[in-house]
Amino acid sequence: MNEKRGISIAYYLMTVPMAILFFIFHTFPFLQGVFYSFTDWKGYGAWNFVALRNYLHIFKDKDVITAYLFTFKFAFFATLLVNVFSLLLACGLNAKIKFKNSLKAVYFLPYMLGTLIIGFVFNFIFANVIPFWGQSLGIKALSINILGTKSAWYGILFVTVWQSLAFNTLIYLSGLQTVDKDVYEAADLDGAAGLKRFFAITFPLIAPFFTINAVLCVKGFLMAFDQIMAMTNGGPGMSTTTISVLIYKRGFQGAQFAYQSANAVILFLVVVSISLVQLKVLEKREANLK
Amino acid sequence: MKKTKRMIAMLIASSVASAALVGCSTPKTVDSGASGAAQSGKEATGKKEVVLELFSSKSENGEILKQLIARFEAENPGVKIEFIAPQDAGTVLKTRLAKNDIPDIVAMGGDATYKELQGAGMLEDLGNEPFMANVQEAYLEMVYRLNKDQEKAAYGIPYAANACGVLYNVDMFKEVGLEVPTTWDEFLDVIRKLEAAGKQPFELTFKDSWTGLPMWNAMAADLQPENFTNDRREGKTTFVDTHQEIAEKYLEVLKHAQPDFMGTTYADGNKNFAEGKAAMMLNGNWAIGEFKKVNPSFNVDLFAFPASNDTNKNYVISGVDVLFGVSSATKAKEEAKAFVAFMMQPEIAQEYVNNQFAFSAIKGAEQNDPTVAGIKADVANGKVANFPDHYYPSGFDLAALLSEFGLNVSIGKDEKESIAELLKQCDEKYNTANVN
Repeated sequence: MNEKRGISIAYYLMTVPMAILFFIFHTFPFLQGVFYSFTDWKGYGAWNFVALRNYLHIFKDKDVITAYLFTFKFAFFATLLVNVFSLLLACGLNAKIKFKNSLKAVYFLPYMLGTLIIGFVFNFIFANVIPFWGQSLGIKALSINILGTKSAWYGILFVTVWQSLAFNTLIYLSGLQTVDKDVYEAADLDGAAGLKRFFAITFPLIAPFFTINAVLCVKGFLMAFDQIMAMTNGGPGMSTTTISVLIYKRGFQGAQFAYQSANAVILFLVVVSISLVQLKVLEKREANLK
Repeated sequence: MKKTKRMIAMLIASSVASAALVGCSTPKTVDSGASGAAQSGKEATGKKEVVLELFSSKSENGEILKQLIARFEAENPGVKIEFIAPQDAGTVLKTRLAKNDIPDIVAMGGDATYKELQGAGMLEDLGNEPFMANVQEAYLEMVYRLNKDQEKAAYGIPYAANACGVLYNVDMFKEVGLEVPTTWDEFLDVIRKLEAAGKQPFELTFKDSWTGLPMWNAMAADLQPENFTNDRREGKTTFVDTHQEIAEKYLEVLKHAQPDFMGTTYADGNKNFAEGKAAMMLNGNWAIGEFKKVNPSFNVDLFAFPASNDTNKNYVISGVDVLFGVSSATKAKEEAKAFVAFMMQPEIAQEYVNNQFAFSAIKGAEQNDPTVAGIKADVANGKVANFPDHYYPSGFDLAALLSEFGLNVSIGKDEKESIAELLKQCDEKYNTANVN
C-alpha cells in the first residue's frame, strides 16, 4: 500500500508527533487565551463571561494606545536600521577580504548570547561605563545614564539593532552566495559597476531574502520584550513600554489577566495583518524586479 | 486502589530518600497539602507524617524562617514543613492560584497580592485562635482594611512590619551640625544647610521606578485627606483636588537630588549612599541591610518624613511586611494553625525582628537595633500610617507616573505644568484601573 502511494509512513512519524506537541503547548494555550479574553478572569478564582467588554475597554485605555505607538515607532526604526546595516555587512563579508571568517564570528557573537544577558550587560555599560567616560572627558551628553532620560529608547534601539544584525547578515550572506558569478560578469561587460550594479543586479536577485528579513524583523520587533524588561522595565514613565511589556506587567502583576489577553489577541491580529500586507507588497516587488 | 496508593507512596518515599542521599534539594514529588500519598508515606515509622508547604514572598527572611521551621519540627514530630520562597513571588503565587494549587501556609506582605488572595476566598479566618491576643491591633486593623469589603476578620495575621521614611547618614548630619527635622520648614532648612556645606542632600534611584513610591507614600500618608482612599475609590474625590501640596513637595525633593537620579539604579544608589556621597535617602528599613553590605560600619538611622508643619501628622509609614495566612483548602488545618501559633510566641517574634531590622506586630517583641532607633518611639506609640498605595487598585501603575514626573523635572519642564499633568494622569489612570 505504501509503495502504491509512494509515501512512507516515516514522513508521518516525522511530522505528526511534532504537530501534536505544537498543538498542546502552543495552539491550545493560545485558544485558551482567546477564550479568557471574553471573561473577567483575574488569572485565578471564579470568572464570568463579559462578552466584548475587555475589547471595548482597550480603546479607552490610553496606556495601550501609547504602548502601540511606541511599539510601531520602535519596530519601524529597528527594522530599517537592521536591514540597512546587515545588508552592508553582508556585502562586505561577501567580498574577497582578509579576516573574513574572524569578522563573521565577531558579528555573529551577539546572536549567541541571550537577549536578557545582553540587556543586563548594556544596562551596566549605560549606567556606569559610559557616564564614567563622559564625566572624565567632560562630555555632558554622555555623563548621565541614557536609560534614565527621554532618549532611553535610543539606547534600547542600539542594543536591539546590534544584536539582531547577526542573523539578518547571515540570511543576506546566504542570499548573496546564491547569485551566479556569471551575472556579474555579464554586468561588467555591460558597464554596470559599483552602486549601479548593486541596485540593478544584486538587490533584485536577493529580493526574496529581503522579504524574509523584513517580515521577520517587523514581527520580532513588534513583540519586543526581553531587552526592554532587562534595560528599562518600560520606563522612565511609560516611554519604553512596548505592547508585550504592557501585557506582561498588567496581566501578571496587575491582575488584569483577561483584559490583557484581549490585548494580546489584538496584538496577534495586528502582527498577522502587518506581516501579510508586507508579504503581499514585497513579493509583488520581487516579481516585478525579476 | 489501596495497593496502587501504597506503591506510589513507596515510590515517593524511596525517591525522597535517594534524593536526600545525593544531597539535592527536596524534590517536588510531595504535593501541597497532606495528600493521601504523603500521609501514608512514612507508615513504617508507625506515625503519620504531615507535610505542609510554607510559601514566603520575601527573599530576605529565608534564613531565619528556615531556622524557626527546624525548631518547630523538632517540637512537633510528625509535621514537616517545606519552605519555598521563589523569585517574583507575587506572580508565582497568582499563577499557582490559577491552578488551584495553594500553599498550606503563606507568609507574605500586606499588599495587593494579599488583597487578591483574600478576595478570591482562598484564606481561612483565624479570628478565634488563642494567639490572636498577642497581635497588635494597629497592624490587625491595617490587614482588615485590605480585606474584601474591609471585613473585620483575621484572614491574615500580621507578624512583622517595615518602616519607611528618611534614611540619613548620622555622621554627616553631625559633621554639618544638623538636628533631625520634625517639620517641613526644618526639613527645608536641613537641605539648605547641607547644600551650603557642599553636600548632596538626597540620593534618589529612579532608574528602578518603584523607589519613587516610598517618598510618595510618606508624603501622602501625612497630607492626604482623611478618607481619601475610600472616597477616591467611590469617585467622590480626585487626586487633582487633594494632592497638589503632595506633588509640590515631591518636586521640591527631586530638585535636590543628584544630577543623574533618573539613571541611578537602586543597587548603585545604595552603594553611593553607604559610601557617604549623599546625606539622605528616601526609602525603608529594608535598604539598611544593603548599606551594611557595602560599608559594615555605616552609621545610618531613620526618621519620619516631615511632610507637614504639624508634627502630629508626620507619621512613620509602616506596613505589614509579613503576615501569615492559612489556606482554606488545606487538608491539615490543625497543623498549619499550630505553626502559626508557634510563630506568634513573643520570644520567637523577638528572634525574628532581631534578625531582620524589622518591627514586630506581636506584643512583647521589640526592635532595639540602633539603625532604626529614630522611629522606635513612634512605632511603639502607634504613630504609624500604612502605605497609601497599598489601597490603590493593583493595575494602577503609580511608579511609572512618578518616574515620568521625575523625567519632566530632570529635563527642566515647567513645574506647574508637570504637577498638573501628574495629578491629571493619576486620576485618569486610577479610573482606568479601577474596574473589577
